Amino acid sequence: MKFISVIAILLSLAAGIIYSWAQGTTYSINLPEARVELKPGEALTKVETFCNICHSLDYIIMQPKFTKPQWTATVSKMIKVFGAPISEEDERLIVNYLVAQYGARN
Amino acid sequence: MIYKRHSRRDFLKTAGVLTAMTAMGGLPSPLFADEKRLVKFPEKTDLILLTQRPPQLETPPAYFKELITPNNALFVRWHISRVPTSIDLNQWRLKVGGNTENELQLSMDDLKKCERVTYTAVLQCSGNGRSLFEPRVAGGQWKNGAMGNVIFTGARLKDILNKAGLKAGSADVSFDGLDRPPLPSVPDFVKSLPLDKAMEEDVIVAYEMNGQYMPMLNGFPVRLVVPGWYATYWVKALTEITVLPKQFEGFWVKTAYRIPDTPCGCVDPGSSPKKTIPIHRMTTRSLIIDPEDKTKIKVNKPFEIMGIAFSGGYSIKQVLVSVDEGRIWKEARLGQDRGRYSWVQWFYPWKPAKPGKYTLMAKATNSIGESQPFEGLWNPAGYLWNKVERVEVLVS
Repeated sequence: MKFISVIAILLSLAAGIIYSWAQGTTYSINLPEARVELKPGEALTKVETFCNICHSLDYIIMQPKFTKPQWTATVSKMIKVFGAPISEEDERLIVNYLVAQYGARN
Repeated sequence: MIYKRHSRRDFLKTAGVLTAMTAMGGLPSPLFADEKRLVKFPEKTDLILLTQRPPQLETPPAYFKELITPNNALFVRWHISRVPTSIDLNQWRLKVGGNTENELQLSMDDLKKCERVTYTAVLQCSGNGRSLFEPRVAGGQWKNGAMGNVIFTGARLKDILNKAGLKAGSADVSFDGLDRPPLPSVPDFVKSLPLDKAMEEDVIVAYEMNGQYMPMLNGFPVRLVVPGWYATYWVKALTEITVLPKQFEGFWVKTAYRIPDTPCGCVDPGSSPKKTIPIHRMTTRSLIIDPEDKTKIKVNKPFEIMGIAFSGGYSIKQVLVSVDEGRIWKEARLGQDRGRYSWVQWFYPWKPAKPGKYTLMAKATNSIGESQPFEGLWNPAGYLWNKVERVEVLVS
């Protein structure tokens, strides 16, 4: 564990996460790549594909346990307000997945 | 409280692993509901992860023991995923135009030639405390860590607008940052202020936070600062100011960030407001910072209860504290006054004489008599949270 920590520190220094003014007037950061594992389910691949276009999947996990009408409204907002390119059939599958895996038990 | 779930050892372990994963370009998974993780983003210390892309990071409560929130601990909240990550200050310009006599392209040096204005102000997300709403509402599930008290320095927006020269008939001023939407159908994050608000003395284009350039994730190189109003207006990585001859119609003002048009900004829990208006001034709040919830305290030993209080641009006049679940209230001592936009620390000496469970409460009132409700006021978007908080401690 100690060894891993040392490697971790060296790696983070090497990666130059913290900005530097080394390249003249350009100021840069590197954002970590988002990686989130959702619970398994029939429509998981569709959820990963479509939801990930605009946001990391922890947006799903973060929400309170929504009822079916709430998940339906949320997915509908993504399509109608934000233009997520999701077909009606996929919308239905995605809502069912979200209710089953991240929904309120009612 | 969730933060208590991390032992010191777990904390170090998580932080270490996360640093390694970050360096390798990824964050560990899986990430389960209710399990909050500390993460390290560029220029930031370990913060509570809400979401990774766009980043939403919450400040752990221990930092609120400080009068001024350090830059690396200030919360992070972006709306759309193409967040700026690289800026060349030689190329960067702040564009000012629209219904103006001149079009300006201001460099950082130009901004710094304007009169320099400095003050301390609370920066608070509209949805701070949203996870405490009952019934729960959709959106970023913040506890109370989407806030901070920061010294901002910059140029007056009014001076910049006057330099551009306002044409007759100007109504609103809109503000666009460098962040861009992931799809053309996603509305770009653009905010607006009514002209009279934009021309107020204290609205600034800030280029410094706590005397330094601000972290990229908090809006480098400049952000709008609208002290007293919620952070949704404090556009990060500000790059374009447009004076409009009519009301701004963009999504993030016309549709999002709205509150019920009622005196309390609230409606019956679970119901929809008939009419809404854009969110604006912050409600009055007080928070008990020390002790934290579920802490153990020794009987018959002096303990100083400490907290913070602030309101939307009016000084805190009084903070009342109760150590017996609201039966008896006594006045707390207020700390250093850093002006009407800053939070004030408050202190309350306490020596619990008997063992048992105690419920501590604090209630602030500002200089125009605004205070806090004992029951959470509800609105569908989860804004304006300012319920009198309760902290339970065990005295033994």
